[in-house]
Amino acid sequence: MSDTFTIGIDGEQLPARKGETVLQVARRGGIHIPTLCADDRLDAAGCCRACLVEIDGQRRLQPSCAWQATPNMNVKSHSPRVQRHRETLLAMYMADHKLGADGLPIHTTQGNELRNWALETPHKKLTPVHSPRKGRVEDLNPYISFDPELCVVCAKCTRYCDEIEAVNAITLTLRGSETTIATHGERGLLDTTCELCGGCIDVCPTGAMHAKQTPRFLQPEEITKVRTTCNYCGVGCQIDLNVHKGKIVQVTAPPVGETVNDGNLCVKGRFAYNFVHHEQRLTTPMIRGADGELHPATWEEAITFAAKGLLRIKDQHGPHALGFVSSSRCTNEENYLVQKLARAAFGTNNVHQCAAT
Amino acid sequence: MDFRGAQREKILALLADAGGVTEANVRLVSQQTGVAEAEIWGAGQFYGLLRQDGPKTLVCDGLTCKALGADARKAQLESLGHSCEFFSCLGLCDVAPAVIGPDLVPFADCDRACHITANDPNLAINLAGPRDSSYTAFAWAKAMGADAVIDLIEKSGLQGRGGAGFSAHIKWKGVRGQKDPTRYVVCNADEGEPGTFKDRECIRLQPEKLVEGLAIAAVAIGARDIYIYLRAEFERERRILVDCVAKATAGPLGGLTFHMVRGHGAYICGEETALLESMEGKRGMPRLKPPFPTEKGFRDKPTLIHNVETLLCVPDIVLRGAPRFRALGRQEAGSKLYCISGHVARPGVYELALGVTLDELVDAAGGYVGTPLAFSPGGASSGFLPMSERNRPLDFGNLAAVGSMLGSAGAVVLNDTIDMAKAVEWQLHFFEHESCGQCAPCRIGTRWLHQALRDYLRGGDPVALTNADDVAWEMAEGSICGLGQIAALPLTSAQQYFPDFFTKRRPAPLP
Repeated sequence: MSDTFTIGIDGEQLPARKGETVLQVARRGGIHIPTLCADDRLDAAGCCRACLVEIDGQRRLQPSCAWQATPNMNVKSHSPRVQRHRETLLAMYMADHKLGADGLPIHTTQGNELRNWALETPHKKLTPVHSPRKGRVEDLNPYISFDPELCVVCAKCTRYCDEIEAVNAITLTLRGSETTIATHGERGLLDTTCELCGGCIDVCPTGAMHAKQTPRFLQPEEITKVRTTCNYCGVGCQIDLNVHKGKIVQVTAPPVGETVNDGNLCVKGRFAYNFVHHEQRLTTPMIRGADGELHPATWEEAITFAAKGLLRIKDQHGPHALGFVSSSRCTNEENYLVQKLARAAFGTNNVHQCAAT
Repeated sequence: MDFRGAQREKILALLADAGGVTEANVRLVSQQTGVAEAEIWGAGQFYGLLRQDGPKTLVCDGLTCKALGADARKAQLESLGHSCEFFSCLGLCDVAPAVIGPDLVPFADCDRACHITANDPNLAINLAGPRDSSYTAFAWAKAMGADAVIDLIEKSGLQGRGGAGFSAHIKWKGVRGQKDPTRYVVCNADEGEPGTFKDRECIRLQPEKLVEGLAIAAVAIGARDIYIYLRAEFERERRILVDCVAKATAGPLGGLTFHMVRGHGAYICGEETALLESMEGKRGMPRLKPPFPTEKGFRDKPTLIHNVETLLCVPDIVLRGAPRFRALGRQEAGSKLYCISGHVARPGVYELALGVTLDELVDAAGGYVGTPLAFSPGGASSGFLPMSERNRPLDFGNLAAVGSMLGSAGAVVLNDTIDMAKAVEWQLHFFEHESCGQCAPCRIGTRWLHQALRDYLRGGDPVALTNADDVAWEMAEGSICGLGQIAALPLTSAQQYFPDFFTKRRPAPLP
């Protein structure tokens, strides 16, 4: 099998590479196939069944997220059979899901892929089915909450926790229609191996896993996303600040594949943004005056003041009376500059970095 | 991703030994194995026998037991102070309504010998025949060589007896043709289809034939390790097998290693890939196919999985040849163990030509009790058929032709005392409870159908069943495995053949 070839989807010949799935080929070719459980970072689960397509030579509908593209294959992703499947499956999902006043799956701040799917697909209305799924009632962790009424059991959160983070704090539990997401012993996340990275929130397609600090039902037009670099460490993760009415209400990871962190964040980058709007936050440099109090200053004044102080110590006690400690929030380049400042400008090797123990 | 494969495989057995899923037990097993606590918790919670809160008396609520008074039996036991739980299927349909104690041993009144076909040396399995521990067929197979054995299996026309009726030799060839030198043979003894109890009798009465069939399969595909996945409720059968294996491996089967794996109370683990997941210490959720187990099975190695009865046919084929085995059946090959229960005089396991009719089968079982109304030819998964089909050959092809299936050949007869809509409710309850919950069509569909039928029974208005055909269609089209694909069949087949039971009726309270 050559490494590049074409496959037919809905009569169109699309370029494919060895190892790609039918879904990946279709997406690149601009053919929309709905999915809930697919994530290129995770092993294909094929469990949401939204992406089933007809593949020539196969009796059954097959999940395009797991099916490998092979030369000369022919796929139908919009045949009457596939359409009927999608419409009925969607109706079943909706019968098992919290619906809004408009009769559609409710929109959440994170979006709701089931709602998007419902908006683009005609569907019947089925009698709602009472879901027996349970959430953890008393979870006192400050950041992550789970709403079983919105869960579609795609298991992206548990698979992410296992396959990407290797933390294994959450798991599928029970069986059949009771299947839901749990921790060991239904404990709060603080009493598990959870690192509160919040990846489960980012991968959740329906907003069942959500951030406690964030209002739950903001519309997309109420949020402005501002891309920036996380300054908690030197890795340089890109983050999207979700700004609502001039305040950050949530931090999300940029889409998978777009930035160095590939859709991942840690607890600090994702949740520790409250200082930004804190009333006691310092917004200018401060210099302690002769009166013993701190007074606002410009950066130029502050740097000059610090430089003079350092030079005075060097003059009075020699360069080895000085020591420089850099921060793990600095980048590699910034750390380089700190040691250069210590060695070249002040002539001392007393330089350290707080993470270099 | 799983970095601790070998340790992971142990967790379910360790949990069972510790007494089930509790926080303390999970912590203990995590310390013993290094597997994450949440993973152990999630896997354990999947299995009925592991998540019980304390040992209970188990009353079977499979189709046969319900038809023969499981509700009354449970109420009676509870009034005597037993702590009871419904559980299905216990594989004791011949003594329905079945009850087993907390020690997994059947109650005394459910503990009697099963009716079986009398000793007849012409039969392939011949349950009533003398036990034979000479392992002659194994010696012959070894002398013949692997290719000749597989050729023989092909010529015999042997079909898998677990449910699908898939030609056995295709699997054998499939595994033999793999490049990977490590292969496994797995015996699926997780018999759990309501109406089915034949594998139990095979192990009780002819364990040597099972062990020999496995050994021949191992030689043919080049495997050294053989795994027997046995449902936990078959505790006595387990002891019989352990004893039989110990004697065999101390003698003629010395080069092979047999491993016993316990089930933990999940019907879905009879599905071959769910069984493999369970063997690997995971939740018994079926895998996507392809890859098939012949290519990537247990531990992702080529694996041959067969049902108990299929393997019991193998020694006979080796000893007496393919044409003779083939001739034992009618349109399809071999003799077949049929389970029959429900409203018949002598429920039991009867070995008859593959392709006998229901009337012939019930004749062997002493005749009908009352006026027969409906039958389920192959367990819960085969739906219901009307008595007008009583002369249809009970084989894989002829039953598939009417949208039913032979399945595990667990035939259940219901007489006219049974309300078919209620019988459907029992079956839908079973499937909702036994769905693994992995894929949406089955997880939501089984619950939706069960709820719709309960709404109908409670309110008496068939409007509750509007859209049931759509949901059933989607379950058949969209589910990952066979359970979801057929779980609507009891309802759709009953609606098709017994429409009178699904008209407007008097509202009735439901428990």
